[in-house]
Amino acid sequence: MAQNANNRLELARLHHRFGFGPKPGEFEKDLLAPITLAKSRILTNPQSDLALSSLADPVLADLGNRPKADSPEIVKFGQDLRAQNLQLTLWWLDRMVLADNCLAEKMTWFWHGHWATSIKKVNYPLSMYRQNQTLRINALGNFRKMTKEMVNDGALQVWLDGPSNTFNAPNENLARELMELFTIGVNNYTEEDVKAASRALTGYQVVRSTGQVFINQRRRDLNPVTILGTTNTFSGDSLTDLLVDRVECQNFIAERIWFRFISSTLPMPKNFAAKAAFASREISPTIQAAADSSHLSNPSYELVKSPVEWFVSVCRALELIPSQLQPATRTLNYLEKLGQVPFDPPTVGGWPAGAAWLTSATSLHRLEFANWLIGKSRLATLRDTPAEQKITKSLNWLGINKWSDRTKVALTEAINHPPQFTLSAICSPEYVVNA
Amino acid sequence: MYTVTRRKFLQYTGGSIATGLLSQIISFDEIANAGLINPLPANTPILVVVTLYGGNDGINTVIPYTDSTYYSARPEVSYKQESMLPLDAELALNPAMGGIKSLWDQNKVAIIRGVGYPNPDYSHFSSMAKWQTGSPERNINTGWIGRWLDTQADNPMLAISLGSVLPPFLAGAKKSGSALPLGGLVVPAGNLAYQCNQLSKPQRGESKLMAAAATSMRSLCNLSETIQPILRKPAPTDPDLPTINGGNAGGDNNLAQQLDIVAKLIASDSPTKIWSASLGGFDTHADEANAQATLLGVLSTSISRFMNQLKNTTRANDVTIMVYSEFGRRVAANGSQGTDHGTSAPVFLIGNSIKGGYYGDQPSLKNLIKGDLAVTTDFRDIYASIIEGILKTPAEKSLGKWSGRINFLKSSTSSLG
Repeated sequence: MAQNANNRLELARLHHRFGFGPKPGEFEKDLLAPITLAKSRILTNPQSDLALSSLADPVLADLGNRPKADSPEIVKFGQDLRAQNLQLTLWWLDRMVLADNCLAEKMTWFWHGHWATSIKKVNYPLSMYRQNQTLRINALGNFRKMTKEMVNDGALQVWLDGPSNTFNAPNENLARELMELFTIGVNNYTEEDVKAASRALTGYQVVRSTGQVFINQRRRDLNPVTILGTTNTFSGDSLTDLLVDRVECQNFIAERIWFRFISSTLPMPKNFAAKAAFASREISPTIQAAADSSHLSNPSYELVKSPVEWFVSVCRALELIPSQLQPATRTLNYLEKLGQVPFDPPTVGGWPAGAAWLTSATSLHRLEFANWLIGKSRLATLRDTPAEQKITKSLNWLGINKWSDRTKVALTEAINHPPQFTLSAICSPEYVVNA
Repeated sequence: MYTVTRRKFLQYTGGSIATGLLSQIISFDEIANAGLINPLPANTPILVVVTLYGGNDGINTVIPYTDSTYYSARPEVSYKQESMLPLDAELALNPAMGGIKSLWDQNKVAIIRGVGYPNPDYSHFSSMAKWQTGSPERNINTGWIGRWLDTQADNPMLAISLGSVLPPFLAGAKKSGSALPLGGLVVPAGNLAYQCNQLSKPQRGESKLMAAAATSMRSLCNLSETIQPILRKPAPTDPDLPTINGGNAGGDNNLAQQLDIVAKLIASDSPTKIWSASLGGFDTHADEANAQATLLGVLSTSISRFMNQLKNTTRANDVTIMVYSEFGRRVAANGSQGTDHGTSAPVFLIGNSIKGGYYGDQPSLKNLIKGDLAVTTDFRDIYASIIEGILKTPAEKSLGKWSGRINFLKSSTSSLG
């Protein structure tokens, strides 16, 4: 083998953590060249992704205000909301599956979990779509700019009761989460800071059906307030500057990246290169530093594929396109059973990580989901592989470092039965965990 | 809001808590078999913990309905007095809590008032971690029941949480409670079962998460058809309620479903002393009154239904329910017809072994501490009393030298008629 064991592990992690797993043939090809080539390809966001050029953006009409509960229009309104939601969700899943370079989608996904906003409260897919575009545009850009745009994002404002936060009646929800979950982390501010920041964030109004934000000056609290020791009449932008400039922000975002890209179980070491890189608040070099670190070849830093990550990587390997799987609602039903549907995080803290995805309930639903997906695929890559090479070649097909002895036994027994072989492979601990 | 369930959130607080990483996941048939082979001895006290995620507004749960400040501080978030359920001349239950009111009238409800901990934390995540670890002063990664489990003989059935994620209060240093996924488990059969079994084999030198992935499949393999009769069996019947009346069906909300399963498994003698169930959505920053009433209605009907189901078992007198949330909410409304994160709130203890009534002082709506309700009772007083009175174990291993106790249990918790 041309590559040493560490390189295989590192390559597998590059594909699964900084992307959504390899398409057939990709991993094998990468093994033939120095790993630096694969690394720079995976970590570079191309100007355009050819594989996505034919995928049309969703067209979501403004559905307007919700009709009265007992009106005849309410039925169609509800149907339209559901249809748009399905269209939007499948569109994003398609992007993740089809992209040649997944980094942009992976980062958009990461930021969606960070600024976790749920359509369950926002209601309008159009508003969620706009937020998704904001996250994508800034996914590898500047964190300060992203934060300013997110404070001005209609979906986030609605999710955290921003439009109810007024001069006469402050509502702390957005101010608190902006500090605790989005920028500097808990214990790095006082309750007085939360109250003051909520006054700085007064006046935002949202057109709910579109997510369009405007400021109502009469609702703003223009009195100077003191936040983290600085007294000023803050705006959303100047509050963002204050928070993003804090040294705690550097540590907090580095920790979130560590937790989602390197290890969900072990603490971030002081020398995590991404932390230093984030001094600039630029996300792209931060991610490069995260992947560039020696941590990527350290076997003790494990992650578990979340349900969406598992589904997307299976689709890439099995050459399936989410929006073409019928019935379309089935895909979302399975994801819901597994506990993770895009645009619908359980709380403002986003989704869990690690062993939370490893319960017997999720392993059962994963098996059922896998069976259904396998039935939709020709399994061309596996069928084209000679029986005696199936076990080793399937490692490269799926982008896995190595099979355990136990899994090899299961695979050997299914060697002449491609669907069973695939089921064992994609439900194996080696695939479910990004070891 | 209505849709924010906080049930799973502690899983990603990232390091402050163990999150039950290697918790065992058990199946219905394991519990059923355990019930047959190793039934819980008769008259053993059982604790059912119901966690309300999101920060339940205590002031609108046990309402100081004759205090004019209540109406003036939150004009749009207060209920009409005539709809409330008065307990005495000062306090009334939320209009939606008819079931719990009826249990109160039977002296089966202890309301512990003003419960919290020193230096209240307003973060959902941190505050729930303090409640669940039982350690408000110091961040630790074991739960208050988890540390009790550490003192007990190894038994995965001893503490069971409904749902697929284990709450941190059941995570100990060496042992932890088990998570029981709700419904919908179809047993793998034939080749699938065989493969599942093969993939779940322990592997030497395997990493933690890989081992956890394998374990999760192993418990599936252990499922068998023997459990089906228990699951298909209706929950123990509820003698006090007409079975046809749709109003009592209740069953499409998740808490009722969780407690139905608890009732079935208690009835089948599961050797379980602690059950955990939860209800989310209490983070009512806006449009609170209706949302909270809906949730409290679910809580109240689920609990009274559960209590009625227990009447047809031999364990009706053994079960105590504890209901708590990570914090209460501000006295004053926030102007979005909601309330922001606050401090203390009442805790409910419900059961035939409870001495009904109030415990702890009612915090004043006027004399606030830093703008919030005073904490008049430390939650560790309740925990210590539960560990000693229900789990029949010295509290020190779980809570250290904590001296506060609350005398809400009848003298002998399990031998009452």
